[in-house]
Amino acid sequence: MARPSNLSDRTDPVWRNSDRLLLDSRLALAVGFGSLLLIMALAGADALRVLRDFRTNDDRIRRQFLFQNRVLNEIKSEVYLSGTYVRDYLLEPEAERAETYRASLEQLRKQMDAALQSYRRQLAPEGAQHYTALQGELAQYWQILGPIFEWDSAERRRLGYAFLRDEVFPRRQNMLAIADRIADINEQQLSAGNSQVVGLLLKFQSRLVISLVAALALGLGMAALSIRRILKLEIQVHSRYQEAAEARSELKDLSARLVQAQESERRALSRELHDEVGQSLSAVLIELRNLSSGMAKKSDEHFREHVETIKGLVEGTIRVVRSMALLLRPSMLDDLGLVPALKWQAREVSKRTSMDVSVAAELVSDNLPDPYKTCIFRVVQEALHNCSDHANASSVHIRVQQEPKRLTLSIQDDGRGFDSRQVKGLGLLGIQERVERLDGKCTIRSAPGSGTILSIELPFSEPLHDNDGHSNQEPRETNSHPVS
Amino acid sequence: MRRGLKLLLESQPEFAVVGEASDGRQAVERAEATHPDVAVLDIAMPNLSGIEAAQRIVAASPRTSIVVLSMHSDEGYVLRALKAGAKGYLLKDSVEGDLIEAIKSVFQGKTFFSPEISRMLVEDYVREIRSRGVEDSYELLTPREREILQLLAEGKSNKEIAGLLNLSLYTVETHRRNLQDKLNLHSFPELVLYAVRKRVIS
Repeated sequence: MARPSNLSDRTDPVWRNSDRLLLDSRLALAVGFGSLLLIMALAGADALRVLRDFRTNDDRIRRQFLFQNRVLNEIKSEVYLSGTYVRDYLLEPEAERAETYRASLEQLRKQMDAALQSYRRQLAPEGAQHYTALQGELAQYWQILGPIFEWDSAERRRLGYAFLRDEVFPRRQNMLAIADRIADINEQQLSAGNSQVVGLLLKFQSRLVISLVAALALGLGMAALSIRRILKLEIQVHSRYQEAAEARSELKDLSARLVQAQESERRALSRELHDEVGQSLSAVLIELRNLSSGMAKKSDEHFREHVETIKGLVEGTIRVVRSMALLLRPSMLDDLGLVPALKWQAREVSKRTSMDVSVAAELVSDNLPDPYKTCIFRVVQEALHNCSDHANASSVHIRVQQEPKRLTLSIQDDGRGFDSRQVKGLGLLGIQERVERLDGKCTIRSAPGSGTILSIELPFSEPLHDNDGHSNQEPRETNSHPVS
Repeated sequence: MRRGLKLLLESQPEFAVVGEASDGRQAVERAEATHPDVAVLDIAMPNLSGIEAAQRIVAASPRTSIVVLSMHSDEGYVLRALKAGAKGYLLKDSVEGDLIEAIKSVFQGKTFFSPEISRMLVEDYVREIRSRGVEDSYELLTPREREILQLLAEGKSNKEIAGLLNLSLYTVETHRRNLQDKLNLHSFPELVLYAVRKRVIS
């Protein structure tokens, strides 16, 4: 069986492919550049966040340090002050004055308690031990101070100095030492906080490096991909251009051949006009001259002979002119419609060649629009020409069918066949042109040795006009049996 | 040409030319007005073709027999003319020689073709039979059917045939149906052409 080759299928897979390719590369580019931008945006947002964290951390650490320092200093100065008040109280001979010192001391104690309380809230775990030590010392301090407020002025004078020297001053030294240690710890905390911030910065730096490297890698990848795509497209464009150029040159070649074909047809017509018609008319003229010059002398017999010759010449000329006219445009096509014209053509070809040509027509309207009947008639003419000149066929079957939405024609011969993928003669191209002009489809099935089937399909629906009240079904000719 | 034909017809003592027309429409009007025995129509007339004119004249004046003049010897034209109701079909080439006989024939209800047409139909038929190698369907007909085929092709009605052959109308109709089935002919014009091809009539 021959392989079908659809000559007029224009939905070229290459075009669909290139569309898909274009879509693919667009998608790839969008995804690539999108993720590149995303990475950069994420890196930027990260940097901003880290900077903000850095600033708040730094702030917090500094503020805490300052606060603790201040509180500690306060406590320290209050410890000094309390020493002073205790001394003043012990040395004061007047009871009334001593009482004000005592009140100041009470006041001071409260302040120190409050400072300690607020310090406790900001306490770091490392400082807790020292804080408790400090608190313990303070509690003891106040405890030791307790009994002196019971003393009268004589006792104060007698015991005061010794008490100050043995109890108050060592305690005070102790407390100050603890406070110094706490201050040390605070310093340490400050530097720890600083190094924490530095660590944060380092981490951020490495993250920034990673995202920069990723962006760079992705960018490189994108660039490589785009370059590859572009190169590929370039190659495609080039090959497309090549194809177009080839098609153009093919077209040029074709039109040259068409012009040539037209010229040779004209030459044949001109030769026929000159050789046949012209010659005959010249002969008629000569005969007429003979007749008129010899009219007087010649006998009736001679006269009749000349007239007979003229008659024969004129009849022959009429035949030639008629067959030439039919060759140019068969009058049946206009007078009788498509099917009678096809049958006439089939009979003519059967007469002229050894092929047996049959026509089967189904429901074909007698008044098809001219482009359709001309197209089908010329296609049949060309196909019959191919069958007799190239295919060496002995029988050809032509079938025309009118369906509600289309006209179909098939021409089947039993000739040599050909490779329809390779051979494309001018005739076939002409057929294709005619069919495509009516948006039709043309299929050729053939292979060497297995005959040829040429099928065409024209989209067509009969116009529903009704000029003189007749149904347009009426003029159709139903004739399904072969007539030649 | 019309003048030449008119002269020719008027030279016959038994003919009278009752009307002339220069196109198809006029021809129909004249035929409707005068109801002639025979109308001679050129197939290629301006305004209305001879085929169309023949159809309308047959409808308007059933007693009128029609002879069509044509330059086409193709069977498609002959069949179309017969379908339109023409009884005679003459080629213009040979009209002078055959017109008188054609008019007389169609007036008697017979069909008439130019000898060239008959010859061509017969030749085509013979060639077709030979090239197809098919069986000649005429061989399938009984002698009675052949007789009826001839009478039908000569333009006789079923009733006339029944009278001529001494058969009942029903029998003639049966024979006619059978022979049409055997020959695969579906209309009267096709039957006439077939008869010409087989030289049953000329």
